[in-house]
Amino acid sequence: VSAQAAVETAPRREGSRQPPASRARRLTSKHLAVVVGLALVSLLPVPFGDYGFFLGAYAAIYGMIGLSVVVVTGYSGLISLMPYTFAGIGAMTAGLAVGSWGWPFWLAIPLAAAATVPFALLVGMASVRLRGLYLALATLTLSNALGETLFRSEAVTGGGAGWNIPRPVVGPIDFSSDVSFYFLCLATLVVLLWMAEGLRSSRLGRAMSAVRTNEVEAQALGVNPYKTKLVALLIGSMMAGVGGAFLGALLVNVTGTPFRSPVVEITSLLLVTAVAIGGIDRPLGAFVGALTLFVVQAQVFGGAASLQAYLGIYTGVILILLLHLNPDGLVGLARRLRALIRARPAFGSGVTTALIVGNVGICWLIVAVAE
Amino acid sequence: VTAAIVEVTFFGLAAGAVIGLLALGLVLIYRTTGVLNLAHWAIGLLSVVAYVFLTAGGVPAPLAVIVALPVSVIAGAAAYRWVFRKMSRSKQILAILVAVGVAQVYSSLAALTLRFEQFTRLEPWLPVRDWRLLGVTVRSTDLVTALTGIAVAAGFLVWFRRARAGRALRAVAQNREAAVLAGIDEDRASMLAWGIGSGLSALALLLVLPHVAGTQGGLLTAFDVSPLGTLLIPAFGAALVGGLVNLPMALAGGFVFGLSRELLILAPKPWSDLRPSIAAILIVILLLLRTERLFASEQELEALES
Repeated sequence: VSAQAAVETAPRREGSRQPPASRARRLTSKHLAVVVGLALVSLLPVPFGDYGFFLGAYAAIYGMIGLSVVVVTGYSGLISLMPYTFAGIGAMTAGLAVGSWGWPFWLAIPLAAAATVPFALLVGMASVRLRGLYLALATLTLSNALGETLFRSEAVTGGGAGWNIPRPVVGPIDFSSDVSFYFLCLATLVVLLWMAEGLRSSRLGRAMSAVRTNEVEAQALGVNPYKTKLVALLIGSMMAGVGGAFLGALLVNVTGTPFRSPVVEITSLLLVTAVAIGGIDRPLGAFVGALTLFVVQAQVFGGAASLQAYLGIYTGVILILLLHLNPDGLVGLARRLRALIRARPAFGSGVTTALIVGNVGICWLIVAVAE
Repeated sequence: VTAAIVEVTFFGLAAGAVIGLLALGLVLIYRTTGVLNLAHWAIGLLSVVAYVFLTAGGVPAPLAVIVALPVSVIAGAAAYRWVFRKMSRSKQILAILVAVGVAQVYSSLAALTLRFEQFTRLEPWLPVRDWRLLGVTVRSTDLVTALTGIAVAAGFLVWFRRARAGRALRAVAQNREAAVLAGIDEDRASMLAWGIGSGLSALALLLVLPHVAGTQGGLLTAFDVSPLGTLLIPAFGAALVGGLVNLPMALAGGFVFGLSRELLILAPKPWSDLRPSIAAILIVILLLLRTERLFASEQELEALES
């Protein structure tokens, strides 16, 4: 794919070559599918009770931070391994604002996003000189260093007691229960998802995709790669910062511990791989990745101790297989399966069923073996 | 004060030898196959697990080390043969994520193997003894770690320069097409690089073992989690000293990172606070210097990425 094609053609959209009338009808059916899908997803934690909603809110927040991976790595091709550090900066800022200065939670969210900007600029200055792997190393190192300095300083983390971030109350709606806070997180995630999708088809998003495919060609077409990368990093880090603010409110009390080395590096890698399983160049990929994390965590909860290790092996193998066979992740796999069903209905639906049944079967087997 | 400096220097040399061995493995794998191996740690861990099981079963420690090392060698070669061989070098993000997947599989495997028995005490395979000489206390483990590390690294570098297989590895790194035309089996050379690199990682971890023997929480706390920051990130930094491609410089880089971290203990107050972040500071400087240009031509760098 040449960069020129990326700049000139808008991203492929279902049915863009069809007459307008039929496109409108398909769009409504698509909208209906989105609404039904969202309703189904939002009820997913029900069988797990209150803890399920807590995990669900966690997953939605991971989805927000995962969106930053989509924008930075998926859209722009910059390998950043520090999304969770940016979330930590957001969480600490929100903690400082709400817990120490007594700001309302709603005002702390934009502040948390803004606080990530200087750090993103720092990474951005490095990214203009560094290619691929070297940027990955730089971000890994930086998250380690910030974990050892920033997230150990008492002024930032509130020391051992940490910061208290009470969940917000808006008039009659109290978000302090896990159930209501889950829906708040989910709604925020959907808004961010919609924004990221809009970004993808915007001029800026196409410039990002051009820079990713071929920097020199993009420059020849009048795209400034430096500015584009910097903006991508800024947008991404702000999304992670928002996720961090919500993470702080979910946990109610937040300390610097989760953002110190080595937990922060491991969590960042976990997030990036979850998004890669979902599909790294689509906002929906972050959503699916977070969903996968939720399902895995919900299974680990209450399971045998060795379950986590078995699931670790299974998800590792799935990650390797998926990236080899289908680099677009689960979202891309679903699209390919749908095309296959359309072309050869019997064979396609057979393959799809086999994949789903096989996957569920293996998971069931793992749970059975672990107990 | 001089005695303190000498003692701390020995700590630093031991840490440097371990970091240098890890970095040698990383560089060997990167320059031959273009993969930045984030699974380096997990692959080496398998040998440690094998060692722990062997010693728990009554096998004498030195023999256990010799039997355990090939486990990682095989795991590394298998990772290349079944996973990385088909990766395209131009998609670096995919290679990194796949390496994370490999790390997840191997470290879960290690955790699973250890789950059934709680090893809270680790058998050191070296005698832990303190020697006093002219007012300087030297721990036997530090001395042996430093000497073993230097000896193995030197032996490896000589082999790499002189031996036929080592020359084949260098040829593949410098120009793949020409090496294949000259009759070198690229797949075999790559598998060899992964095997040897993983063996070096395992050896480095086994050299760490006597230092963490008796750590609270046992093997997984000592090996799976905490060393990421203290050993793996400095190892990446040491590899960067040689621009990720030069082996002797990577070894030297290991000592730079090991010594600078340990010697900062003795530095006056504002400087000693830098200790936790010194590796990061050095790495950022190295990255901005773009050390790879000093050790590889533009052409070789292009070849590594495509």
